[in-house]
Amino acid sequence: MTGVRWTRWRRRVQALSALLWLALPVLADPRLAGTPAALRAGPVDLVEPSAALATALAARALPAALLVSALPLALLALALGPVACSWLCPYGLVSEGLDALRDRRARAPRIPDAGHRARAASLAALLALSLLAGAPIAALLLPPRALAALPLEAWSARVVPWVSAAILLALLALEALGPRRLVCRALCPAGALAALLRRPFTWGPRFSRAECRCPDRPPCVQACAWGLDPRADRPPDGCTSCMACVEECPSRALVALRRAP
Amino acid sequence: MEGAAAFLRRLLRGAPPLRPPGALDEEAFAARCIRCGRCAEVCAYRSLRPAGAGRGLEAGTPEVVAREAPCWLCLRCPPVCPTGALAPVASPRDVRMGRARLVAERCFAFQGIVCRTCLDACPLQGEAIRQDEELRPVVTERCVGCGLCEHRCPAETPAIVVDARRRP
Repeated sequence: MTGVRWTRWRRRVQALSALLWLALPVLADPRLAGTPAALRAGPVDLVEPSAALATALAARALPAALLVSALPLALLALALGPVACSWLCPYGLVSEGLDALRDRRARAPRIPDAGHRARAASLAALLALSLLAGAPIAALLLPPRALAALPLEAWSARVVPWVSAAILLALLALEALGPRRLVCRALCPAGALAALLRRPFTWGPRFSRAECRCPDRPPCVQACAWGLDPRADRPPDGCTSCMACVEECPSRALVALRRAP
Repeated sequence: MEGAAAFLRRLLRGAPPLRPPGALDEEAFAARCIRCGRCAEVCAYRSLRPAGAGRGLEAGTPEVVAREAPCWLCLRCPPVCPTGALAPVASPRDVRMGRARLVAERCFAFQGIVCRTCLDACPLQGEAIRQDEELRPVVTERCVGCGLCEHRCPAETPAIVVDARRRP
C-alpha cells in the first residue's frame, strides 16, 4: 500500500461534483452555470471537447472562442488522463453504482479488450452523424449532459425532462444488459476523446516489474473497474487514472508517480 | 448534403419555434446549440424550455412557448451561450425573435369591446404595438417577438400570436 486512499478521495470528489450539478439550477447564477457539456465558472468558459468538436463539425466552423473553451479539459486529459471520467463525471458515478449492484448478483461479463476500438468507432460515428445531420448529436447524447439536464430542466424550465430521461434510460439499459460499464468504456464520446489523448507522459499508474510479487490473479487487476491489467510499461489503453490499482497494490510495484530512471 | 439535411428538417418539423434572444438563424442555431442548458438555467423567468422529441434532432434545444411563458427581454441568456448559438444582443430593441400577428376575428377590439391588454403588456410601450383611429391594435415593424402580448391576451385563443422569425 502506498498509503494514499485513492478511492476514498475519488468518492469525495465525485460526490462534490454530483452536488454541484444538482445545485447549479437552484442557484441560477450566470457566474456559475451549466452542465457537463459546458460550464461557466466566473470568467472561465469550459466546453467539453467532444461536444465542441461535434458542434464545430455540425456548423462547419470553429470559432476561436470555442477552441479556447475546449482547451482546458483537453489539456487536463493530456496531463492526467481521462480523470474527468473517473473523478468528476456524474454519469460515471451512477454507472459505477449500477455496476456494483450488478456485480453482487452475478458475475457480469467484462468488456473484451477490443474496448479501445469500440470507443474510437463510436466517437467517429457520433462525429460523422453530427457533421451529416448539421446538429451536434454527440453533445445531445453525451451521458453526463443528459443526467445533469434532468434537475436543470425540471427546476429551471419547470417541465418533465422527457427527452433527457429517455436518453438516460436507454444508456442505463445498455449498461445493465450489455458488458460491464459499456457506456463509459465504449460509447461515451467525451471518454473516448479523453482516452485518445493519453500520451506516454500522461499521469497514470506506473508499474515496475522488479517489485511485483503477485501471482496470477493480482489485486490490481481485480480492482480495475474496467478489468484492465496495469502491469505494463505504461498505463493500459482506456485507463482513467482512478488509481484503484495503485491503492490495492501490496508492494510498491504500482505507484502514482515514478521518477524516470 | 447541406440541402438534403435542411429539406429533411423542414419536412419533419412544423412552424419554427420561438428561440431565445440573439439566436442565430434556425440552421446555424441547430448546428451550434450543444444543449448545455445554460440559457434555461439563467433565465430569470423560467421561459426557456427544452424542445421535445417531436422536434427530432433539435430535441433539447431551447424554445419559448409565449402563451405559457413569454420572454421578458432580460437578456441574461445570450452572454452565457458557450458556442455562439445565441449571439450578443445590445438592447431589448435589437432582439429579433419574431413578429406578433393580430388575428382580427378573435380580437375584442375589433368587436367594439374596449381592450388594450396587448398594448399595455408590450415592453416596447407605444413602439411595437400602436392603436389605429378606431382604437384597434396594430403591430409595427419594431416588434421583437417577445410574446408578452400573446401571453396576456384575454381571448380564449390568443388574438395576437408571435410568428418566429423566418430566414430571408
